[in-house]
Amino acid sequence: MKYQCQRSSAVLSAALCLAFSAYGHSPVCNCYNDEEDNSKVVCEGGFSDGGSAEGVAVRVLDDRDRILINDVMNADSTFTFTKPDADFHVIYDAGPSHQVVIYMDDIE
Amino acid sequence: MTDIVKPLLPRSFIAFVSRNLIIILSIFGFSGSVVAHFQMLYTPETAFTRGQATQFSMVFTHPVHGGPHMDMDPPEQFYVVSQRGGDAKPKRTDLLKYVKPVDWLPNHQVNTKQVAEDGLQNSTKAFSASLPRSVIRSLGDHIFVLQPAPYYESGEDKYIQQFTRTMINVGGVPGNWAEPMGLPAEIQAYNKPYANWTGGVFRGRVLADGKPVPHAEIEIEFINHKPDQENNRFAAAGEVELPQDAYGTQTIYADDQGQFTIGLPRAGWWGICALAVGADTEHEGKPLSQDGVLWVQVKDMK
Repeated sequence: MKYQCQRSSAVLSAALCLAFSAYGHSPVCNCYNDEEDNSKVVCEGGFSDGGSAEGVAVRVLDDRDRILINDVMNADSTFTFTKPDADFHVIYDAGPSHQVVIYMDDIE
Repeated sequence: MTDIVKPLLPRSFIAFVSRNLIIILSIFGFSGSVVAHFQMLYTPETAFTRGQATQFSMVFTHPVHGGPHMDMDPPEQFYVVSQRGGDAKPKRTDLLKYVKPVDWLPNHQVNTKQVAEDGLQNSTKAFSASLPRSVIRSLGDHIFVLQPAPYYESGEDKYIQQFTRTMINVGGVPGNWAEPMGLPAEIQAYNKPYANWTGGVFRGRVLADGKPVPHAEIEIEFINHKPDQENNRFAAAGEVELPQDAYGTQTIYADDQGQFTIGLPRAGWWGICALAVGADTEHEGKPLSQDGVLWVQVKDMK
């Protein structure tokens, strides 16, 4: 089920890093390389209604969906992590049907 | 009129006047009643799915006619206030270091041979800012504010200073788009300026130092000649033919709360300017009009 959700989110959002739903607020997540430290990635979370992402679960997984990092968005609605050595993707998990998947290749 | 002056003036002069009527009107001081001044803070796109490098063009002009343009002095301030989400703190970033002078060409410059012969079609001083992706990288609203130096309008023997705002959004996450900024002259947005459909309406409120301005005079113009940022000029041809000058500059008045509503009948860019609402009314011994300008982008439903 999780895999299906991830795949469908990926199709919907593609490079946009957005997930859409029937709810009034949609989860939004954007990840980019930290310009001050290229070994790190910064992810910003939010919602289309402007709500805070503090406490929203965020996971970094490898290409076999093994969890490498399991954390939450901080008070600034951001999450910073060191790039894994292997291929990875990020899941911004705001609940059922509110997941955003960002693949490594979409992180600039 | 042409029939009357024909016997008195050479044909070439009449043709010259016809080609340059707007510029000549401006020079002789008719610009205030014919076309409205608008400080442009133009960038092609204001609703991004993800952050990217962006170029702004700053031209003081009459957008519905594609000119004439007025020489700008270096801006006093250019900055962005960014906010991701309604509860986040706004972050101000000064951007003056990115502002570079450019020569903005008149849209008549298509025929360079004609321009050389006329000798009147000089370029005007404008400015450009190429902003790196890091400026507009984060999700949320990015409100760009341009505070130009006061411009002396000889035709009206007064100075004009237009506090101009253009808003960009990344990812659809709202931020501070509706928040007053406390500028000397400002149009507070009641709609997101970066998310408007053709045929919709735009609502706002005129503020001066954060306080409503009852019954403020407001002018609205459409950017009728598409800006060409690569060549620093507008398209020679306008998108819309004006039946009469009153259609070019729409004039309305705010209500007793400073609020107003306008229609958005066409996709593109609409400029809204609240006239002479700022508290400072004098500059270097001349009258000063401190105006508030807000730019609104409109898209077709396809």
